Amino acid sequence: MKFNDVFVVDDDKIFHFIIKKLLLNNNINVTPKFFENGLLAIEGIKSKMDRGENPPDLILLDINMPILDGWQFLEEFKIIKDKLAKEIIIYIVSSSDNQSDMSKANEYQDEVKDYYLKPMTAEDLKTIFSYPA
Amino acid sequence: MLQKPYAEKKFNSDNGIFYKKLVTKIPDLIFQLSLSPTGDLSSPFLNKAVINYFELSRQELRNFDLSQRIVPDDFQKLLSSIQSLDKNTDFWSHEFRAILPTKGLRWFKAVANVERDIYNYISLYGRISDITEEKQRDIELKISEERFQFAMEASSNGIWDLDLRTGKVFFSPQSLRILELTQDDVIDTNEKWDERIHPDDLEKYLKDFNMHIKSETDYFENAKRMKTKSGNYKWILSSGKIIERDKNGLPTRLTGTHTDITSQKENETAILKNSQIINEQNSRLLNFAHIVSHNLSSHTGNFKMLLDLIETENDSETVLEIFEHLKTSSNALNQTIEHLKELVDINTHMVHKKENLDLNLYLNKVLGILSEEISNNKVKIFKQIPKKCNIAFNPSYLESILLNFTTNAIKYSHPDRTPEIYYSMRKEDGKCVLEIKDNGLGIDLEKHGRKLFGMYKTFHKNKNSRGIGLFITKNQIESMGGNIEVESKTNIGTTFKIFFSNEV
Repeated sequence: MKFNDVFVVDDDKIFHFIIKKLLLNNNINVTPKFFENGLLAIEGIKSKMDRGENPPDLILLDINMPILDGWQFLEEFKIIKDKLAKEIIIYIVSSSDNQSDMSKANEYQDEVKDYYLKPMTAEDLKTIFSYPA
Repeated sequence: MLQKPYAEKKFNSDNGIFYKKLVTKIPDLIFQLSLSPTGDLSSPFLNKAVINYFELSRQELRNFDLSQRIVPDDFQKLLSSIQSLDKNTDFWSHEFRAILPTKGLRWFKAVANVERDIYNYISLYGRISDITEEKQRDIELKISEERFQFAMEASSNGIWDLDLRTGKVFFSPQSLRILELTQDDVIDTNEKWDERIHPDDLEKYLKDFNMHIKSETDYFENAKRMKTKSGNYKWILSSGKIIERDKNGLPTRLTGTHTDITSQKENETAILKNSQIINEQNSRLLNFAHIVSHNLSSHTGNFKMLLDLIETENDSETVLEIFEHLKTSSNALNQTIEHLKELVDINTHMVHKKENLDLNLYLNKVLGILSEEISNNKVKIFKQIPKKCNIAFNPSYLESILLNFTTNAIKYSHPDRTPEIYYSMRKEDGKCVLEIKDNGLGIDLEKHGRKLFGMYKTFHKNKNSRGIGLFITKNQIESMGGNIEVESKTNIGTTFKIFFSNEV
């Protein structure tokens, strides 16, 4: 198991619950930290840096969120990512199957590993956490 | 007719053989006619050329009578033209038709000198020429001129004819009529015409004209607006072509037509406007489809994931927890559907009832509704709206819009200062603009501008933010034919400008 420190950035608290349950049911032994918008997640990363801690291994990122949405989070992330001690793997997990969102994700190829459409299945989660096999 | 005419005798006796031969044999048609005092017309002399041309046989010649060849009507006219010759006239000319055995109907012109003798005989010496072709050309020209004249007067198109050397132009009455002008207005040069062209269309007009002058185009064609006598503009299509060049090949004359295409252009504009409306509605429809798909699928996604969990869950307490989440999701879905229904209502009933509304009245009503919030938050209200300021709008929309902007201004007020809200009304480009300005938190438009009016978008860490108000407000304003603009600076404040459409 490679991912130990996981951020879930999503304004939907039900989704937080679902992720926790899915991880538990699939014996993935990880306790993610949950953030309700992009700004809180960026602050979370920055405070880790300030404390001299390693950044998270994995981020599951929603697109539609208040204050800073997924795209705005990625813009802020671009600014700080060179200062990070190690690479962070980011997956977008969104219910938007809008073509414009899909193609926009392509503009963040350097930051975003893949795009998962909600509803998320146990299989999706297993695939993400088995990387790299 | 017993007496031989004097003239003939004179010819035979006085002239030498040379002249006789000459006159007889030259290819010109030479004749002598003689009219007796009793009105008999004879032809004492016809040269060989006449005899051949008129196809007279020897037999016919023996007792030849002019009426045998000349069209009866024309013969009578010819006779009377000689009879009515003035005493002092020594020149005669007449045109007539003759029917010739093989040549058929031909036009002739006879010219002759006139002499009178003491016996009151009139003698005509002269020549005849066949003018059939000339006549035909004349007739054809006359027909075509008549046709042209008719076309020029009957057609709604004007005609122009420009002499490039002098700059003078002939404009047909119809050309002038299009611009409500008459001949009295003396529009006879290119300059006088060109100065009526709309300034915005002049450059293209001159370019099109010069391209044809330089023979870069096969013909000249240009549509432009021109000022009529009453000061209105009409769309006029000019077409033309060079029809004459000098020996160096440079154009000297151009002619063409003018057509009033105003109604055509107006139709085009109307079609363009309609297609803009259709495009706008299409993009709103598409936007709506995205909103529906996104907002519904986030809930249905939750249902799916929660139901998946229930299937494999054994712990009864966790099952109860999942049920709670299902309930929450279901409520949220209902709420979303309510919002979407509201949105559909706004966008589908395009013909909302507009009424003439007194803005002051509605603003005071809304401020009354919010009086408790206003006093609790110590909000200062400033109003600069002229009395009897009426706008055409849907009453419940106007109330909802004023309510929304006012509650937003209070909700997002700055914690360090007394909230102030300014309402003012003015005119911008002939449109009524309502400005609502606050000194609140402001919005970072660089970051949030593109999603400011989106559905379920919130920008502040405020628990009461639902992200539906501005979205509904914008839709209501647009469905009334208006639009909305925003200016904002973080920590300074926000100004919303609502542009009202004047159409009732």
